[in-house]
Amino acid sequence: MSKASKMWAAMVPWPKPAGGRRYSACHFCDTLHEAHPVEEGASAVCQRCGVVLYQNRWASMARASAFSLAGLILMSVGHLFPFLTMDAAAMRMNLSLWGAAAALMREGAPILGMGILIFTVLAPYLLTCGMIYVCLPLMWGHALPGARFVAKWMYRSEQWNMVEVFLLGVLVSLLKIAKVADVTFGVGFWAFTGVMLCMAGAVAGIDREELWDRLEVAES
Amino acid sequence: MSGFVKAADRGLAGCHTCGLVSPEKLGRCPRCGVVLHTRTPNSIQRTIALMLAAAVLYIPAHILPIMTIMELGVVEPNTIVGGMLYFWKSEAYPIAIVIFTASILIPLMKIVALSWLCAAATGYVKPSPPMLGRLYFVTELMGRWSMVDIFVVGILVSMVQLGNYMTVVPEAGALAFAGVVLLTMFAAMSFDPRLLWDQLDKQ
Ligand SMILES: [Zn+2]
Ligand SMILES: [Zn+2]
Repeated sequence: MSKASKMWAAMVPWPKPAGGRRYSACHFCDTLHEAHPVEEGASAVCQRCGVVLYQNRWASMARASAFSLAGLILMSVGHLFPFLTMDAAAMRMNLSLWGAAAALMREGAPILGMGILIFTVLAPYLLTCGMIYVCLPLMWGHALPGARFVAKWMYRSEQWNMVEVFLLGVLVSLLKIAKVADVTFGVGFWAFTGVMLCMAGAVAGIDREELWDRLEVAES
Repeated sequence: MSGFVKAADRGLAGCHTCGLVSPEKLGRCPRCGVVLHTRTPNSIQRTIALMLAAAVLYIPAHILPIMTIMELGVVEPNTIVGGMLYFWKSEAYPIAIVIFTASILIPLMKIVALSWLCAAATGYVKPSPPMLGRLYFVTELMGRWSMVDIFVVGILVSMVQLGNYMTVVPEAGALAFAGVVLLTMFAAMSFDPRLLWDQLDKQ
């Protein structure tokens, strides 16, 4: 067996925590269900309202880690290049996330500037770095110190990640200034489009119950 | 009464961070340490308070300019509605529709939807959770897109700094509008959809 296939074989499936498994409460209608393990690719659905209780996704930890890693690399690259470049009045202006935030802070809107940094820089970094820190070692049943703490903050940062909304903002702005200047897309825009797709893939690949069951088993 | 047993009926609470079901009297989730509640405390009151604050801010957010464009000495304040009309007149209909939806329609729809949900959860209107549930999930999902105009202000302020030729500065309306978006997001988070089912079972 090659080293790679050995590593693949050592990857643990969704383990069940000791002490007999327990219950699952629907987060939408609070109906109590006995939580039976489900096969890979299948999901458990609330008997009353039909909302998904939990699902066992294929290679979830590997997918979350891979997408997050790709997202992190693209994000770091994206920060080095402009989103848009504008030529007007013999001047060249570049758009970056940091530039947009700094301009707002300088022009008397520091709260909005901070907002841009939180929604498009801090939250995406927390999410991708958190995923890598938690999910990558969990593929082989290990948990790094403080993994629970990181996982908690990872979930909290999820809804504040607004990369996709910012990209829409870039498109709207482009149309607004295209009349007065020559505007071209930069590498930053394409890199962050990739970031958006990677984040969606990473978040979609993972189930909350599975992640915490794995963490619980890894730490016991 | 339905034949279904709720976690709350047995004094159990599902952790909203990790999903573990444990007795509420433990206080904190044994797995992730988050405070346990069978129902979000003061859910309706908090939702209504945040929503009212958002509704009040909605007015200055649309009356005040979100930015000022200075072109060759001409000062032109820009409101959200004005920006939308500009795109409509220059026949950029898709962008006009995007701005109308994200900045005008979604915040209003969120306020209306949350009012409806609060009324249903307290029994003033008939609670029909499957339909209202879809309404709830849609409002939670759409809220973030309203931020697009704030990002546009940031982008334009940062890029359009061409000295005397053309500059853009942010205005108070942008802050008010960001407040509307954040308040409606927090209001949606404070609402506990399980109250709809409680109300249904009570009737
Ligand atoms: Zn349910
Ligand atoms: Zn928990």
